[in-house]
Amino acid sequence: MPTAVLRRLLLFLPTLLAVSALAFALSRLTPGDPVLHFLVSNPFETAISSPDALRRAEQAYLTAARRLHADKPAFYFGISARAFPDTLHRILPLDRRLVLEQLTAQFGNWPAISDYHQALRQLERHTLSLPDSLHRFAANFRLPLLDLYTARDPATIRHRLDHALPEALQLAPPLQAFLEQPLRNLQDSYRFVETHPDPAALRTPSFRWYGADNQYHHWLSDFLRGDFGTSRYDRRPVADKVAPALFWTLTLNIASLLLASLLAIPIGIGSAIHRRKRFDRIATIGLFLLYSLPVFWIGTLLLVFFTTRTYGMDFFPGPGLGYLPSTAGPLEKILRAAPHLVLPVVCLTYPSLAFISRQVRNSMSEVLRQDYIRLARAKGLPRWRIYGRHAFRNALFPLITILGAILPGLVAGSVTIEFLFNIPGMGWLTYQGIFTKDWPVVFTVLMLGAVLTMAGVLLADILYTLADPRIRRFS
Amino acid sequence: MSAADHLSSTGPAGMPPAHAPKGYLHSPLKAGWRRLLQRRSARWSLHVLATLGTVALFADFIANDKPLYCRLDGTHYFPVLRQYAVDLGWKHWEPRFMQQDWQDHAYETVIFPPIPFAAKTIDPNTKANLGPFHKQQSANWRRRHWLGTDPLGHDVAAGMVAGTRVALSVGIIAMAVATAIGLLLGAVAGYFSGSSIPVNGIRLCLNLLAAFLAWFYGWEIEKYDWAWAARDGDLSSVLPAMLTRIATCFLAANILAARLKKIPLRPLQWTVRIPPDPWILRTIEIFDAIPGLLFLLALLAVVPTSSIWYVMGVIGLLRWTDIARFMRAAMLEVSPLPYIDAARVMGFSPRRILFRHALPNALSPVLITISFGIASAILLEAALSFLGFGIAADQVTWGQMLAQARQHPQAWWLAVLPGLAIFLTVSAFNLLGEALSDSFSAGK
Repeated sequence: MPTAVLRRLLLFLPTLLAVSALAFALSRLTPGDPVLHFLVSNPFETAISSPDALRRAEQAYLTAARRLHADKPAFYFGISARAFPDTLHRILPLDRRLVLEQLTAQFGNWPAISDYHQALRQLERHTLSLPDSLHRFAANFRLPLLDLYTARDPATIRHRLDHALPEALQLAPPLQAFLEQPLRNLQDSYRFVETHPDPAALRTPSFRWYGADNQYHHWLSDFLRGDFGTSRYDRRPVADKVAPALFWTLTLNIASLLLASLLAIPIGIGSAIHRRKRFDRIATIGLFLLYSLPVFWIGTLLLVFFTTRTYGMDFFPGPGLGYLPSTAGPLEKILRAAPHLVLPVVCLTYPSLAFISRQVRNSMSEVLRQDYIRLARAKGLPRWRIYGRHAFRNALFPLITILGAILPGLVAGSVTIEFLFNIPGMGWLTYQGIFTKDWPVVFTVLMLGAVLTMAGVLLADILYTLADPRIRRFS
Repeated sequence: MSAADHLSSTGPAGMPPAHAPKGYLHSPLKAGWRRLLQRRSARWSLHVLATLGTVALFADFIANDKPLYCRLDGTHYFPVLRQYAVDLGWKHWEPRFMQQDWQDHAYETVIFPPIPFAAKTIDPNTKANLGPFHKQQSANWRRRHWLGTDPLGHDVAAGMVAGTRVALSVGIIAMAVATAIGLLLGAVAGYFSGSSIPVNGIRLCLNLLAAFLAWFYGWEIEKYDWAWAARDGDLSSVLPAMLTRIATCFLAANILAARLKKIPLRPLQWTVRIPPDPWILRTIEIFDAIPGLLFLLALLAVVPTSSIWYVMGVIGLLRWTDIARFMRAAMLEVSPLPYIDAARVMGFSPRRILFRHALPNALSPVLITISFGIASAILLEAALSFLGFGIAADQVTWGQMLAQARQHPQAWWLAVLPGLAIFLTVSAFNLLGEALSDSFSAGK
């Protein structure tokens, strides 16, 4: 039996890796430069006065990029065309790297493109190290120059190089002495890129091994260590945001789970005992209707009719948790927020009520068909003993699997209910995270949800093995 | 059912018993269908679904701001029909129809649809947030908003009709995707459970190589062009080239493999045995670990333009696991039956036995899962659009209408009606699933 559990645990690993790779791949698709987000203000926008300021801005960007591992390769290995250098990931900022990548994808001639990029930087440095008297002329020249950093279309680049920049230089004759030569270098280097393309290098695949120092490795090991990164929205650690959200989600879900079980188990047992009688039929139809009622609809109805003045039935306070003093302990917070929690708990309870009582009914009626129940009846045992001691305890085994199904929901929260009632739980955090483009938060919740789903299944399997002597014996 | 039951109910020599209805022995599907129709709940849900299906199919003819038919200056027009041709790029609107509102023309004859508003038309004569029982200032009863208007002045009845189409198409297309994947993987896993598929090693290697080449030449070196094309919203420059390259890679690999196999050399006859069952079970487990709504939310937030097609595709890709699991279980029951052995002895190929003989017999549990699956896909899409994700700006869905009630609690009709529609649709599919499961397992 321990080997069965162990084997199950080992099978858990590849699943975890696959799901984490999926979440990571999705997080890589998010638009925007995470480093710039992390820095709040773009350092390059203010670095227009001197070469030193530019160097400082580059330094600030690099430091942040290193902290976020943005200067590392994405995965353990990569396969790309031979034309791309294997150190491409070291080029920063990201938008410049993207432009260079796209130029390479068109011409395949990396050394020439790299020279062009160096010439561009050279020219930019020249515009910054002009004597002070000429600075005011430089502004008109810098605009088309900076545009070149984001230009990837050959026609645009050629227009900038052959028309926009020379014309800007014509308008400011004092600049010519300083900038004419570097501009000619830049034009020549770009012409070399266009005239010496290397299409063969673009068509040859090449395999690169990067080792463990990559973004995915750092991301996953940080996640497993409990370091979920920093929120892009308010720069707090994600773990600090998840903790209070988890508190409210757990409060809501545990309350609704307890309520649902308290109601569902008697209903399920009653239905099984009176199978196909009136009680069972009414309960089945009622629970079926409950199960089909969309949670967000019932939530909306409750919200509209029971929390607003319009219909004169405002028995409950509106959405949100009301005022909670930050010094209050957890229990006091729950008690103060209790009136706000009633409707969400109702919404969370009724679908699981239907689900659990259905499961109890099925497993109980399965047990009631067994020979040992017939034997107990024949022995003349009182009914409560048959149902309570012999049948119910055995009928509880299949309910263990429900535990596995419920665990992820307990933590991931219900996005719709928390959104509807403005409860700051995990679902609400996800919703906010998506709207504020706070990807670290979104992908943390996604990963936590996935890990807990798997852990729930695993736990149910193991408990099942431990609880059921038949499985214990034969596996 | 035990062997003795089996004998007594079929009579000697496999003939149907005298009381059995016609077709009893030939088709368990037919018998199950007959049992299904005897149930009141099943008949009810089929009626509801047929009605909803009709509404969805003819949504443009039921609620539209264009006339069904009109005569203007002696010319006959069928504007609703013409819109399809215009959408396809076959025809154009005359300038006068573009410039003037549809109801302002001086028609000689005109027939408007039963609801003379489209989901996104704003009627200039009415106020926003008009209740069904409020006094309305419409020109005549034909232009009354029977179900009220929403906070922007759109007709709610027209929105409900448009929402029917979205809900049903999401449910059906998402489940079609899921069924295609789940049926195939589940059937293969169940049929080959405990055994393995023999594959020609050379063919396998060549196909793996082709997959790599297809990825590299079809995607990896083209992805920058893709990014540009996706930004411009025109994939026609990149998609055909990609498909051609991928098809060429696989075609070349398989033709080469077939040629090589004919050469009587021992290493070329190398056979690999692949056990599909554990691999498929593992894949199911991975997909089950993905929290559906969260994943969809994250994905829709990442893609640059949201569209209902993403929602359908992703729901399909996430929800095939149930179908695969049920299919596998049904296949495990069917594959040890004697007639499958008989087919094997007769020398039928595994593919033929699997798809022609075993799969049709294992279909009924899948019908049940599909029915429940459609219900949950509709529910998932409604929840998504309730949260404000995944729908294009020109579409109206039930979930979206319901979300408006949250900001406008005085508009009770927005809280009640769309939710009622979701509830009706979902419970019709759920009831059908329940009835299917009862009537198809009754024979066992």
